[in-house]
Amino acid sequence: MMDIKRVISTIERKYIKNNLKKEERIDNRGLWDYRDLKIKADIITSAEGSADVMLGDTRIITGLKYDVGNPFPDLPDEGVCTVMAELLPLASPLFERGPPDEQSIELARVVDRGIRHADCVQTKKLCIKEKEAVYILFLDMYVINHDGNLIDCGGVSALTTLISAKIPEGRWTENGLEWTGKYLTGENLVNELPIVITYGKIDDIIFVDPILPEELVSDGKISISVTESKITSIQKSGKVTFTFDEIRMLGKKSIEIGQKIRKELNLWQYKTEI
Amino acid sequence: MVLLIKDEYPEKLFREDGKRLDGRDKNELRPIKMEVGVLNNADGSAYLEWGNNKIFAAVFGPRDVHPHHLAKPDRGILRVFYRMATYSVFERKRPAPGRREKEISMIIADCIEPILFLELYPGTCFEVFIEVIDADGGTRCASTTVASLALADAGVPMKSLVTSVAVGKINGELVVDLSGIEDKAGEADLPLAITWFNEEISLLQFDGAMNLDQLDEFLILAKDAISKIYEKQLFALKNKYIAIQEDIEKETIQNNNGGED
Amino acid sequence: MEEESQVEEDFEVEETLRELVVPGEILSEKTKDFMPGRGTMFNKDKTKIISLMLGLKSIKNNYINVIPLKGIYTPQPGDKVIALVVDKNPVKYKCNINAKDFAQLKPKNTIKREKGRMGRMTRSKGYGQEDASTERFDIGDILIVKVLSADRLNKPELTTIGKYLGKKNGGIVISIDPPKIPRVIGRNGSMIKMLKNLTNCNIFVTQNGRIWIRGDNIAYERLLIDAIHKIEREAHTTGLTDRVQAFIKSEKIKRGIN
Repeated sequence: MMDIKRVISTIERKYIKNNLKKEERIDNRGLWDYRDLKIKADIITSAEGSADVMLGDTRIITGLKYDVGNPFPDLPDEGVCTVMAELLPLASPLFERGPPDEQSIELARVVDRGIRHADCVQTKKLCIKEKEAVYILFLDMYVINHDGNLIDCGGVSALTTLISAKIPEGRWTENGLEWTGKYLTGENLVNELPIVITYGKIDDIIFVDPILPEELVSDGKISISVTESKITSIQKSGKVTFTFDEIRMLGKKSIEIGQKIRKELNLWQYKTEI
Repeated sequence: MVLLIKDEYPEKLFREDGKRLDGRDKNELRPIKMEVGVLNNADGSAYLEWGNNKIFAAVFGPRDVHPHHLAKPDRGILRVFYRMATYSVFERKRPAPGRREKEISMIIADCIEPILFLELYPGTCFEVFIEVIDADGGTRCASTTVASLALADAGVPMKSLVTSVAVGKINGELVVDLSGIEDKAGEADLPLAITWFNEEISLLQFDGAMNLDQLDEFLILAKDAISKIYEKQLFALKNKYIAIQEDIEKETIQNNNGGED
Repeated sequence: MEEESQVEEDFEVEETLRELVVPGEILSEKTKDFMPGRGTMFNKDKTKIISLMLGLKSIKNNYINVIPLKGIYTPQPGDKVIALVVDKNPVKYKCNINAKDFAQLKPKNTIKREKGRMGRMTRSKGYGQEDASTERFDIGDILIVKVLSADRLNKPELTTIGKYLGKKNGGIVISIDPPKIPRVIGRNGSMIKMLKNLTNCNIFVTQNGRIWIRGDNIAYERLLIDAIHKIEREAHTTGLTDRVQAFIKSEKIKRGIN
């Protein structure tokens, strides 16, 4: 059964496409302009780190929880960081109740890979006793409002959450696991600041940070994660295709945009003071 | 889960100076802040901070029922989904809804349904989504309170608002608005909600032990606290519009002053 | 609740700033002098009249009414609305009209009458005849339609037969709260005339909260959309037409458009 909210009208589709040909977007942005990012960190008292991030009207609140458990056998001295995402029904009539679907899995995995391959978290510092006890960090992203581009918003939300972290520090004694009385913070744990940048493509026009109507009309998207000088992760999704030159151009653009965003946001201001 | 800091429940829930652990008097509420119209994709929405509790509520409807066989031909149905985020509690909660969440969803729905006019919306449903992103005692009461605001924000016809609070007993004393620690370590917990249309109780639960005098005291304490919370609900609902009116007045004064030069 | 037909209150009379009321609020205890009108009812003991929604209190002919500020559209026969086709099968189109139910558009209600020779209208002979044809619509089409019938138990019926009705091929549609539509039109059309003149856009306002617009360029369209959202936001205040006019004029300067 067709659900109205999944049907975008033909005139809206035409409107967006025709204006894009003139490099006009419906919210008056340029093709390479981001919407405003608003960030609040350390807002959840029950969590060991948190961030409430708004990219335009898209809003994701992420929280950090920890557990202590056995490491993976092939990485005996490294902790684990897992990322999950929930698309809450209250965020949009497009989201249905129930277990994670393709869209929420994609959001979690793309943000996860951007963090992992940038070596963002120093997983060796998450080791309490080799082969016995390591931290398992849970980064859980909850989408509170959907107005397009969950991935970029989620990326900033997850990263800021890690920076705001304040996790009880453990040590291994003959009595077992004990709290040292001190904390591991984002400053101790975070090494790199990966930024993920998503582009939409409609007909032949590529643009950054799709707003929801653009996302619904797009043939697909591509997300590129970058550190200050390297590309660490890429994901193309949807029916869209890109030329080799377009990919080269987007790689270069992403590093530039990443540097700009990193500088503007100054994310280290969100670390938790002890 | 293996945690380094344990979730411990102190025995003494009052300080030397007679105040509760968070500095409150016995009949004092925690700070409460409410706002409506915070989620623009929902038909109605509200956000509430109550002590450390942080809760979003959103309403969709009237809309089609999925799965279709749940629809009623002569009236609409109300479904409430109370959920907690994994990071909202001390020990990370599993993402999937548990029995407690389903039970609370049901009692909130039972509390709210009487104030709606579901017979005007045959074959459709109203869905209320409640997400607790930070929990510290009394979430079902706070959720009921914020859900009623979201319904009013949606323009759904209602006989009145619904307001809720939990009263309880800690170290033998009757107190209002239990915090998380007081809820876990205390001796009795009585969440209660009133619908203002007939000033009757529409949500009531109790865990603990009390004699009849204490029951009477509990009800008096609750009624008094609920009236205070109701004032805040009214303020939140009207403030959205009053604030716009005030901005316009300020702007007009500025423009007039500028024009006199 | 009282029948809506007893009252014709809406936002048009904008001189008086009305009181904002909420569900359950007591509007009057003088049950001898007043009767509950639209959006109100007696309390349990019949000693008070209370509001059933968030809206503006208004008194007319001894009836106390509440004008809602939000709420879905309730279809009335004769209303012109903007419909979005969401599904179709050989016997009907299923349309979203921002009401509690989806509405139906049957092929017989999409028949176009053709003009015969000498400009006289020929009588439509029905489906498949040479001098009559049905329009064919697709999922995603935006249609201006008229409501033929609507009641509590049946899905609303629509038609595209009539002046100004039919499919739209361009422009854009925006949505506002249906109760605020009268403010976009204004007293005697004063607001919509002003909007058209100052932004040079075509505007079609319909009862279900949807407004179709088309302008010379996207800059004018954006300005008009912002002005309409300002009307929606300030619908409960007075002096709105003048303020919106001032807003458009000053924005034109700020945005460098003329």
